[in-house]
Parts: sequence; structure tokens; C-alpha cells
Amino acid sequence: MLYRLKKEISRSVKGAVMLSALGLAGLYALPASAAPTISLLETGSTLLYPLFNLWVPVYTKMNPGVQITTQGTGSGTGIAEAISGVAQIGASDAYMSDAQVKMHPEILNIPLAISIQMINYNVPGLNNIHLKLSGPVLAGIYSGKITNWDDAAIAKLNPGVKLPNHKIIPIHRTDGSGDTFIFTTYLSDTTPAWSKSVGYSTTVSWPAVPGGIGAMGNPGMVQALKTTPYGVAYIGISWKKPVEEAKLGLAKLENRDGKFLLPTVENAKAAAGEMVSKTPADERISLVYAPGAKSYPIINYEYAIVSKKQAKPEVAAAMKKFLNWAIDSKGGNAPHFITAVNFVPLPESAAALSRKQIAEIQ
Amino acid sequence: MVESTNACGIIAMKIPAFRVALIATASFLPLSLLLLIVFLVLYSWPAIQFNQFDFLWTNDWNLGNLYGNPVSVHGQQIMPGARYGIWFLVVGTIVSSVLAMLIAMPIAIGSAYFLSEGVRKSWAGPLSLFVDLLAAVPSVVYGLWGYALLVPLFGQTIFPFMVKTFSFVPFLNGSAGSGYGLLTAAFVLAVMIIPLISATLREAIQMTEPALKEAGLSLGLNRLEVFWHITLPKLKTVLIGVGILALGRALGETMAVLMVSGNALNYLPNNIYAPISTMAAFIASQLDSALQDPTNMAVEALSEIALVLLLITIVVNITARLMLWMERIR
Amino acid sequence: MDGADTLMATKALDDTLVTVDKVTRRFRISLWRRLMTVMAWIFVVSSFVFLAAMFLSIVGDVLVHAWPALNLKLLTDITNGIGGGLKNAIEGSIIMSLGALLLAAPIGISAGIYLSEHGQGGAGKILRFLSDVLVGVPSIVLGYVGYITMVIYLGWQFSVAAGVITLTVMLLPYIARSTELALGNIPLAVREAGYGLGAGEGRVALQILLPGAAPAIMTGLFYAVALSMGETAPLLYTAGWSNYMWTGHLTKEPIGYLTYVIWTFINEPFAESHMLAFAAAFLITAGVLILILLGRWFLVRGQRRTGAYQS
Repeated sequence: MLYRLKKEISRSVKGAVMLSALGLAGLYALPASAAPTISLLETGSTLLYPLFNLWVPVYTKMNPGVQITTQGTGSGTGIAEAISGVAQIGASDAYMSDAQVKMHPEILNIPLAISIQMINYNVPGLNNIHLKLSGPVLAGIYSGKITNWDDAAIAKLNPGVKLPNHKIIPIHRTDGSGDTFIFTTYLSDTTPAWSKSVGYSTTVSWPAVPGGIGAMGNPGMVQALKTTPYGVAYIGISWKKPVEEAKLGLAKLENRDGKFLLPTVENAKAAAGEMVSKTPADERISLVYAPGAKSYPIINYEYAIVSKKQAKPEVAAAMKKFLNWAIDSKGGNAPHFITAVNFVPLPESAAALSRKQIAEIQ
Repeated sequence: MVESTNACGIIAMKIPAFRVALIATASFLPLSLLLLIVFLVLYSWPAIQFNQFDFLWTNDWNLGNLYGNPVSVHGQQIMPGARYGIWFLVVGTIVSSVLAMLIAMPIAIGSAYFLSEGVRKSWAGPLSLFVDLLAAVPSVVYGLWGYALLVPLFGQTIFPFMVKTFSFVPFLNGSAGSGYGLLTAAFVLAVMIIPLISATLREAIQMTEPALKEAGLSLGLNRLEVFWHITLPKLKTVLIGVGILALGRALGETMAVLMVSGNALNYLPNNIYAPISTMAAFIASQLDSALQDPTNMAVEALSEIALVLLLITIVVNITARLMLWMERIR
Repeated sequence: MDGADTLMATKALDDTLVTVDKVTRRFRISLWRRLMTVMAWIFVVSSFVFLAAMFLSIVGDVLVHAWPALNLKLLTDITNGIGGGLKNAIEGSIIMSLGALLLAAPIGISAGIYLSEHGQGGAGKILRFLSDVLVGVPSIVLGYVGYITMVIYLGWQFSVAAGVITLTVMLLPYIARSTELALGNIPLAVREAGYGLGAGEGRVALQILLPGAAPAIMTGLFYAVALSMGETAPLLYTAGWSNYMWTGHLTKEPIGYLTYVIWTFINEPFAESHMLAFAAAFLITAGVLILILLGRWFLVRGQRRTGAYQS
């Protein structure tokens, strides 16, 4: 009798397991309802990725006929896939080079927002004051010419500060990165020696500094700086909170007018204001090292790289609608989106230029 | 294959349908590898022509000025200033994998012995889960664990201690570094490949003839000595075989190494705590920027790196086969 | 006998006894051997303890970070912006792994059968060699080659097909090797019995050997699935990523998978994204744990049936 009971129980357990497996399969196996939705694929810059991820849920709720998938892969991948047509929108922190534009004249570079970069350091005891650093000093650190924190060049910028006699550990990004692009642009603009020897790009041939570290991604930079006393690193502004939570130092950078500024939104807006009038129609311009007393030196446009020619007119229309919403100050450029990632909204004249470019998408 | 005669007395051969089908299906495996190699060679041919042999022993990797205009060097279009030399990658890959094997082998053998003969059979099942499940962890998670837990621990505590104790040993003294480096990468790789080695060894230990073990025991050896002097020599073939598989895995590991190795560029490590770069991790980190090169030379150079890695794997495999062959001759 | 003789005799006897004693007492295990044994035991035990500690550290770290995100929402919501659930990623991972298994199992098992039955010749040696080399190819290379050939050249765009084929190529050597080992464990006598009864090669392989080795082969398949679920690089460039459930298309439609969530969401500055990333890591580890346990259970059950289980 007991045997029969055991058999019954095991059989019913097996049945229950199968039923729940079928149920779960049903939840998953049914393909998504095949309503004629338009799907857009966005891929590229990891700096712009968080902002896109804030935009997409809100936008798709307002526009149920569109599905937008976002990927954070890298600026280079974003450009390459926009060119090859695999992605409709490529996100990039770097505008396309002249050579690339010549090869692919149908590609537009459309700024969507403005991002800022911080220079952080981890010097025990000095993380709460804002050390003053400049482009030439940073170039010296990252090329190995300035080796110690109490070097004369750093001391000159920071009179009265007791700098420790310890080796500096420069931390750079090892993956292709828009942050590297704008940082090296700053170094190139301020230091001719750097411009000649290393130059600027999403990845450069970093001079070999003993002890230097290559980290992966912005979180990797934060972690590397956290665990490496006497290190210095360049980190995107969206990571301000983790940096503050780790009690790392934030540097004041020297701008073109010789003033030392913190990466605040006002300072960035001032810099943007100076450069917007110089922005050409194709909007490919560097915003780094802008003139002006209140201009923070390291800011950049965040670009959407799109092809003028899209496969289908519905896709083009959907893209135009989304991009126009993104740069609208009541849409994507509204304060609650922009401040969540610590960016700066697109100035009105730049937005007008962007709108003109968006209109060219067919 | 069976011969049969039909009415006319002609011998008709039965087509070995099964064997043909077997070979046809099985051949997809070598075919996919050969296609891969052919593709890589064709794709990186311009880079191979441009780099020649300097590729292998110069320490100079530079994608050039990606924002300049392409120039023509040696008949190839490249970006100004572009040079491709990967010696530091070759060294980094080989040294980190060999070090990982050196760390992994003894621990794998020890734990394989422990789980197969050192504990009661009823405990062996659940306890072996600890080791086998290390194989279940995705490599990204190894990387995350490495840089969140291991790097601070090594950089701030263990490495300085090692530098102090071994200050007289050439490769182990010097600067303790930041925790990102060769030893950390080798350590993470070792933890990743140990389950592979240990699981195979456990099976093999359980399969060795009990008669041999009993002979050893009857001669007065204790269990450990039986293992060391009798079982282990018998397992040499298995060890070499699984060692090759593990080495292959270590050579090709991307994500985990990327996050803990420090990613050295154009220089060699001066001690065991210094940053290094491996070929697989390098390809992954450089691919995005290489895609920005309008002449495509950068991507072709990366696929040349992949070819070199394949070459190293082939050389390692040939060496292992030679070692096995020598064992058999003895 | 007089007293002196007895004394001498007793003394001689005593001497012999003492000599025998001395001989037996001299046969002791040397200090060296004792020391080595103790050290060896310490090493063996500590290597296991070391591994257990590593395991607990990794899984514990994942669990601690994933705990706040572990609720039913994970299974019912799709990834939405910076948070949401993991439904689409879970479905994608399962589909890709099953697809890769469906393609890789026949090829891998055939290769394994070939290697174990006819693998002593030149062709077998070459096959084994190439299989070992394939293991060493970095997954990023497979992914990028897949991108160039399938996504761009064949025009499939990010697709399930491209991802599945790339994963298949990755899994083939593992399945071939484990099948070869499993079939190697079956004694020659079984095959001879089959041939002796007049069975052809196909019948012997499919109806005699495979069922016998099925549990071990299944364990190999489960390990392969575990491997495929934990890979990121090959899928980044072939399957892409999708925030939505699979639409049933094999080409021109990207798909989500759990490892992407780990790799990318960790890189975001938002805490909800981090929790989701660790939740995905936890799901993969738990899923693979279940697979490995299932594989073991099948293996033991199969061995018990054939009487080969050593308990």
C-alpha cells in the first residue's frame, strides 16, 4: 500500500513539474505580438548609453508603434554599425574624422547633448581640497616626465599645499573610449609636445609609465583609482556620485584663460556658449579648451551618427521623430533627464543646427 | 562493409551509409576551424604584408593618428604614424598562461586526490560540487570578482608582504604594484581552469586498476605514497591531455583577464606584479577603436593577432603530442 | 645440566631475542617519509579548502549584490531602460543555448563516435588535433569573424542564426571530446558482441553504444550548455541585444541574453542597473548549477541501471 502511495506521489510530482515547465514555456515561448511596429537599433558610446536608457522607456510609452533597443558597445562600433546599416542610430562621443566623412558622405553627426569630464585623483589627505592641475602638467604625468606628486610643476600650481613625495600612478582607459578622445584632445590642445608625439583619438599609444594602469570602462577607472593611492584618472561626469562616495579627489582644471575651474554645469554651459557660435553646419567640432574665463576646458558634444539614407521611409520618419524629441528641451533635453546623468542640455542654436541635419534623413 | 552477390554473380558492395554520414557530419568540426583560419589569413593579408616579421618582436603598437589623412606606406594605405608590434602581447599571453598552469596543476591534482580518495564516498558527491561549480561561473563574473575583491586584497596586503619576504628573489622583488598585474591575472585564470582539470583527473583516478593500488598498499606504502608513486605516473597521459585543454582555455580567455591584468601597452613586465596584456584581451579592448580606422588596417592587424594566437595554440598542441609520444616510447 | 650451562643457554637465547627485537624495532617508517606524508596531507586538504573558499567568495559576492533585485519581477518584466526585469534576456539565453545544442550535438557526437571507433588512424589524429586547436580560439575572434561573415556579408544583421552558429563552433570540440571519452569507457567486448551478432556499424553505434554511454554524453552536453550560457564576447557582435522578447525570426532580428546584462549594465552609473547585472549573474550561475546537478543525476541513474555505479 505504501508502495502504491509512493508511486502516486512521485507521479503527481512529475506531473506538476511538467505542467509548471509547460506554463513557464508558454509565458516565454509565445513570440511577441506581431503588430507592425518599427524597431530601431541604437548602439555605441557607453557615455551616452545611460541617457538613452532613460529616454527609451518614456518615449516608447508615448509612441507605442516604435520599439527602440539600446546597446552600449563603444563609439567606434557605433560609427561602424551606423555606416554598415546594422544599426539605425550610432552613438559616439567623437565626431567622425575628415577621412571617414570623405569615404561616407551620407553620414550625419548630430549632437544630442553635452557631456563633461572630470579629472580625479587619490592622494591620501588631499582628496577633500581641489588640487589645481593643468593640461601641460597632466601631459607630463601621462608621458612619464612628471613622476612625483611634489614635482615643481604641480607645486607651482598649488602654492601652500603640502604635496607628498610619492610616485604618481596615471590610470588610462584601455578600451576605445570617447573619454580618452576628449582627454587626449585637451592634452593635445594645451601641450604641443603631446600633440606631436601621441596625439588624440579614442585610443592612443600611451607612453609607458612604470606603474601605469589600463582600466576597462568608467567603473573600472573608478575602481582602479579607489584601490590605487597616489593615482590620477579621467572619468566621465555621469560617475560623479560613485566618485564622491569613494571620497576621491576632484581637480580644478586650468582653462584657456588661465583660470582653474571645477566641472560644474554652469562652467560647462559657459564653455558651450562660447563654442556654439563657432559650430559649423555639419556640427563636427571639438568643444575642448574653449575660450572664456568661466569655461570649463573638457566638454564635448554627444553625437548620434545616422545615415541620411534609410532603408524604409517609415523607419526614417520614426527616427526623425525620436531625434527631434531627444533634442527638444521639453523632451529628451528636459532637466530631469539631463541632470540624472550630470550632462548639459544642448544650447538652442546648436539644437537648431541639429534639427536642420535631422530633416535630411530620408 | 559487406559484399553480396546478386543473381548475375556480380559482387555488389554495400555502401557504408552510416560511415559516410558519420564522416560527413563529423567533418563540420575540422571544416569550421579550417574555414576560420582561411578567413583570418585572407582578411589580414594586407596587414601581414605591411607588418612582415617586425610584427612579432617589436614592442610598438600604435593605431596612428585616426583623425589624420591616410598615407601610403610600403604600398598599403594606413593612418599616419601607425605601427603594429606585439611582442609584449606574445610575452604577456605565454607567461600568464604558463604561470596559471603552474598554479593550477598542483591544486587541481591535490583536490582531485582529496575528492576521489581522501574522503568518504558519501561526502565526495556534495563536496565536489564546490569545485565543479566553479566551472558554472561566467567569465565576466570572474572578472568582476577579480577587480572588486582580489585586486584590492592583493595590491594592498598580499603583494607588499610577498615583496618583503622574497626581496632576494629576482622576479619577485621590486615594486608591489597596484594589484592589477601578471600574478593576479594568472591567479584568476588558474581558478578558472582548475575545475576542468580536477573533474577529468577525478574520473581517471577512479578508473585506475585497483590491483595496482592494492599492490602498493601491500608493500607498506600509505595511501598518499601509493598515489604519488603509482597512480600519478599512470595518469601522465591524462594529465598532459587535459593540461592542453586547460592551457587552450587560458590562452583564449578574454573578459576576466581584461579586468584584472592592468593592460600594459608596449612594455614588458619587470616583475611578477607588473601589468601585462594578453592577445585575446587586447583584441577585445582595441576592436572598438580599430573600427574607426577608415583604411581598415587596424582591424586587419587585430585579426593578424588572432592568427598569431592560433599559431601559438598549434605549437603548444604539437609540443604536447610530442611529449605524449615520448611517454609511449618509454 | 649444571648451573653455568643453563645460564649460558639462557643468555644466548636472550641475546637472540634481543637481536630479533632490535631488528623489528629498526624497521620503522623514516622521519622523512612521515614528514612528507603530513605535508602532503596538509597540501591536499588545503587545496580543496582553497577551492571551496574561492567558490564561496565568488558566489557569495554575486549573491550579496544580487539579493535586493531577486524578486518575481525579474521573470515577468523585460529590461526597460536602466532597470526592469530580465524576461527577454532569460528567454534569449535559453533559446541561444538550446539552438547551439541542437546544432552542435549531432556534429560533436558524430565526431566523438568517429574518434572513438576509428580514431587511431591518421585522420583521427588530425581530427583530434584540430579539435584541440579550436578550443584555444578566443571567443572574441569567433564573434568578430561571425560579425564579418554572417552579420555583414550574408546580410543577416544581428540575428539568432548568427549567434547560434558562432556558439556551435565554440562548443563542438568540448562535445566531441566528452563523447569520445564516454564511448571509450565502454568495454571492447560489447562492440564485439554486437558485431558478432551481425549488426552493422550504424546499429552498433546508435543502438548499442550510444544508449550505454548516454548518461556520460549528457553530462558532456550539459557542461557545453553551461559554457555557452556564460559567454559574452561571441554574442556581442552576432546576436547584438534586444530589449524585447524574441519575435520568432531567425535573421534580421537581434535578441537579448543574460551575459550582456552583466557586461553592460555594470558599466552604468545607476544602482538599479548594477543590481540587475548581479541578478543576471546569479541567474546564470543558478541555472548552470541546476544543469550540472541534473547531469549528475542522469549519470548516476544511468550507471545504477547498468550496474556500473560505484557507491
